[in-house]
Amino acid sequence: MLNTNTITRSAESALSTNRVLRNTYALLAATLLFSGVMAAVSMAVAPPRGMSLVCTLGALGVLMFLLPKYENSSAGVGIVFLGTGLLGFGLGPMLNAYASLPNGSTIVATAMGGTGVIFLALSAYVLTTKKTFEFMGGMLFVGLIVVFGAAIVNIFAQIPALSLVISSAIVLLMSGFILFDTSRIVNGGETNYIRATVSMFLNIFNLFTSLLHLLGIMSDD
Amino acid sequence: MDSNLWFQIPVALVMGFMIWRMIPAAKHWLQNGPKGSSKEWLSVSMMMAAVVLFVTFLIVVVRG
Repeated sequence: MLNTNTITRSAESALSTNRVLRNTYALLAATLLFSGVMAAVSMAVAPPRGMSLVCTLGALGVLMFLLPKYENSSAGVGIVFLGTGLLGFGLGPMLNAYASLPNGSTIVATAMGGTGVIFLALSAYVLTTKKTFEFMGGMLFVGLIVVFGAAIVNIFAQIPALSLVISSAIVLLMSGFILFDTSRIVNGGETNYIRATVSMFLNIFNLFTSLLHLLGIMSDD
Repeated sequence: MDSNLWFQIPVALVMGFMIWRMIPAAKHWLQNGPKGSSKEWLSVSMMMAAVVLFVTFLIVVVRG
């Protein structure tokens, strides 16, 4: 009887994990597509720099303050689209700036493809091995705090070498967060697919922008 | 006031706020998170090395 209960519980837990994983990837795909469309609209409209900043800050406000209130209801899905759409729209002027470089379209396409390959490879590794990477949590959050501190200094100091170091560090940290967040979903540490989608979206978004910055600096143009 | 400062100050303030929000999460994971074995850290290092190699390859591609 005890064994039957244990098997039933573990089967329920596996089903629940699979459901979170499936819903997370479905919502992630939809939000990435929507964000991409919003970025394309923004590139066509070419809003002023201030609008881009307002959209990005607005998206952070929506995802940090509004979403936690609705993350357990279906309204949360709409809020995720609002936040990710604003982030996509805010990306437009930056993409236009890179696209205007002599080999700008190659840089943007390479950053996009590179982000996809890194995300798929790291996710596939965790999904197939089912290894846990939760031990990385402390190191990743401390690393992110240090990088944000350096980024604040560089907003005013504007040192190109420090900018390169920050982008490289963010690429590695976001790769680590992809392992960490995927393993939390796979091993049942994250049971809310809306929260999981936002974490994964931000990992991919930051990975893409940092890779774009890195490739832009290193391309000689 | 330099117009650039109107962009720099809010961005710096938001990033400072995000650091402040991340400190409890960092403390939580440092104090209560599981500790990795040297074998687990080695496998993470190998994956990070693969990411570094791949990014280096991408840089070579864009430099033509």
